[in-house]
Order: sequence, then C-alpha cells, then structure tokens
Amino acid sequence: MMGLLGKGLILTGQIFAVTLLGALPLGVLIALGRMSRFKPLAWLMRLYISFMRGTPLMLQLMALMFGPYYLFGISLSSSWKYFACDIGFILNYAAYFAEIYRGGIQSIPRGQYEAAEVLGYSKSQTFMTIVLPQVIKRIIPAMGNEIITLVKDTSLAFVLGIMEMFTTAKAIAASQVSMLPYAVAAAIYWGFTLFAEALIGRVEKKLSYYHD
Amino acid sequence: MATGEILLRLEDAHKSFGDNEVLKGISLSVRRGEVVAIIGASGGGKSTLLRCCTLLETLDRGNLSYGDLQVTTDTGAGAQYAPKSVLAQARQRFGLVFQNFNLFPHYTVMKNITDAPIRVQKRQKDEVFAEARELLAKMGLSDKENFVPCDLSGGQQQRVSIARALAMDPSVLFFDEPTSALDPELTIDILRVIRGLAKEHMTMVIVTHEMSFARDVADRIIFLDAGLVAEEGPAEEVVNNPKSERLKAFLRHFQSGGVD
Repeated sequence: MMGLLGKGLILTGQIFAVTLLGALPLGVLIALGRMSRFKPLAWLMRLYISFMRGTPLMLQLMALMFGPYYLFGISLSSSWKYFACDIGFILNYAAYFAEIYRGGIQSIPRGQYEAAEVLGYSKSQTFMTIVLPQVIKRIIPAMGNEIITLVKDTSLAFVLGIMEMFTTAKAIAASQVSMLPYAVAAAIYWGFTLFAEALIGRVEKKLSYYHD
Repeated sequence: MATGEILLRLEDAHKSFGDNEVLKGISLSVRRGEVVAIIGASGGGKSTLLRCCTLLETLDRGNLSYGDLQVTTDTGAGAQYAPKSVLAQARQRFGLVFQNFNLFPHYTVMKNITDAPIRVQKRQKDEVFAEARELLAKMGLSDKENFVPCDLSGGQQQRVSIARALAMDPSVLFFDEPTSALDPELTIDILRVIRGLAKEHMTMVIVTHEMSFARDVADRIIFLDAGLVAEEGPAEEVVNNPKSERLKAFLRHFQSGGVD
C-alpha cells in the first residue's frame, strides 16, 4: 500500500509544483491585465477571473479533458489527461492568485511609485524592483492559504483518472475493503501541508527584516 | 543675489482638477545657486506647483523648461509635453524630497541611495558607493548604511531621502514640506541639513510652513494664494514687510502659532 500511495504522492507533488510554477507568474499577468487602463483587457480579465472562480474546478478539468473531442472532434492521446490537468489547475489558480496580487499591488502607497518616477526608474523597473518585492511580503498570508488549499485540491485530478494519491487511496480502499488507505492518505496530505506551511513560514521570516 | 543662469523656468502654469482650478497662471524662474521658498495656506497650490515642476502632475497650460530642455510648450490649445526621452533627461536635472520621505522600505539605507544612480544612471558601483558614504557622513548617518528605513527615526529617514536625491546629482532640488511629518525636535536636524546645502550653493525650491526658516535660508520667497503668486521678493522683505493684506493675514496666523 505504501508503495502505491508513494507513487501517487509523486504525481500529487507534480501537479502541485507545476500548478505553482505556471500560476504564480500567470497570475501577475492577469492581475496587471485586470488593472490595465485599456478597458477591454481589464473587462476580459475580470470576466476570466469571475468564470474561473465561479465554476467548479472539477467541471473545468472535465471540460479541458473532453472539450477537444466533443467540441472539435479531435481525439487526443491518453496522455492528454495530464496536460488537461496541469492546464486546468494553472488557469484556475492563476485567477485566485491574480486577485491576491491585485490586492497587494493596490496596497502599495502612491508615494513609492512617485519616488521611483522622480528617480528615473522605468515603469518595468519600478514594478519589478520596487513594487513586486513589497507586494510579495504583503500577500504571503493570503498566498499561504491558497497554496495549502492547492495541496488538497490536487485530489480533484481523480476525475480525470490520474493516479495521484487520492485516486490511488480510493482504489486500494475499494480492493481491500478498508478505510485504512484513506486514513494514511489523509495523514500524508496533512504532512504535505505542514511542509508547505513550514516553507511559507521561512519565506515570511526571510522578509521580516523590514516592516512598513 | 543669485545671478547664475536660469535652471528652471515656468511660465503661465495652469492646472485644474475637475472644476477646481488650482494653478491659475503661475510663472517662476530659478537661477543657479538660488534658494526659493514657496509659502502659502493649504490649498493655495504649493504642492501642485511642485508636483507639476517635478512631472508628477501634468500642466493643462503653460511652458516649463529645465535649462535648454523644453519640457512643455504651450501651443495655445494646451501644454504640449516633449517626447518621453526628453522628459527622462529633464528628470535627471531635478530631485524631490517628499513630505513623508517615500523611502523604499525593503532596501537598506545604502541601497536606497545607490540603486537609482547604478540602475538608472548606469554609473560605476564603486564610485556611487563612495559618494553615498560621503553623503551619509554629511547627514550624520555613517553608522546607519545597513539599516532599513523602519529602524530609523523620521528625521533620519528624511535625511536619507535627501541623500538619495543628492546622489542623483540634480541641478535643482525640490522639497515638499520636508518637515511637516516630523516632530519639532527632529525638524531642526532637517533644517540644519538644508541650511548646509544652501551654504554650498545648492539650488533649491522649498515648500515650507517654517516661516523663520524660510526667511533665514531662502534668497527669495514666493507667496501663493488661491493659485496665483500673490507676493514675491527677497526673503527678509516678504516676511518683515508684507505688502498685501493676504500675506499680512497669513503671517499673523503663523505668529499666533496657528500652523496647519
């Protein structure tokens, strides 16, 4: 059982890591689009965020999995489910991250932008070196919440038949007629979130050298 | 009296926010080595004037130039701003010290001062660091270079922000009520620093409520009232022999201790 669950955990960890790798930067772009003075873009991003947050992630995953076939008649290989899973998680989490970034970006005082402007920093220098580092410090608690939710949300991949840890636990439980695999899976998820909490705590501590 | 070349020239500046006309045709020129104080009641347009000069606000009408760099040209239909590259060049000619410092909280004192000269002006690191240390020594903050702003007092933070502005080697340095956010005992430190800069013939434009300081340090005082220059002249004369009723009333208000 542990071997199978361990294999599942690797897939769970992969979904988790890929989602963060994709959604953390994509969220910045979506947040910037959402705050753009170019209204059509701002509205489009608003709509995007609303849709992603307003429909179940499970449904979004299914749509990505089966949409290509039902909508366009494209049959994809059996490995498509992994792509559908990664894309679905990234697109969904980027929407949540975008709103957290937006809150953080809007909390940075105007004076920071003005000081940077007078000193001659370009717009992108100002954002990357003055604003973003301060935003990161401010949004860590909110991001921590999302990241921990993500650990557990990876279990939604079971609807695509991906053998991550929850799917695996379910299969073992069914074959052994036992609750034990679920209990073990729960303990591993908890351990995973403890690990995530510890990492987030370290980042928070690293950035605690100043306050504003 | 300063007779150097004109570093800043502003002509017939107009600025409105919605229906509220804040600047109603202000002209101002500042010569090299001159210290100009701008006084006036709150809402009189002092800060807006400074923000327009430092390109944080755009003028609706008027001409603005820094030496040979024409920043805006009044086309008759409004102020026409020069291309971005010219504005970027103009920004290299002035510095601004903010009322509430606006230091970068995540940078150390040293990085606050050196980052823009290195990143924006692309100057040599060694040279910039050496100059920053000199500036810090001048500000009495040599032992604070690795501190972050939140570990400094307000007065120290303001001195760092003056050093940050000076590190860019501006030809004109603007101060927007540099002591308003400080406790009275810290105010003295800042005023001493500015006095020191005046002795070195730094060209400065200072918006201030410190009337006696303005009289002592400035060559010239401009009294703004309701968006216009209501009175202007040599510092002592403006403070000691005000001509207009508005200025007399304003100064009385200060002498009775009513600082807003």
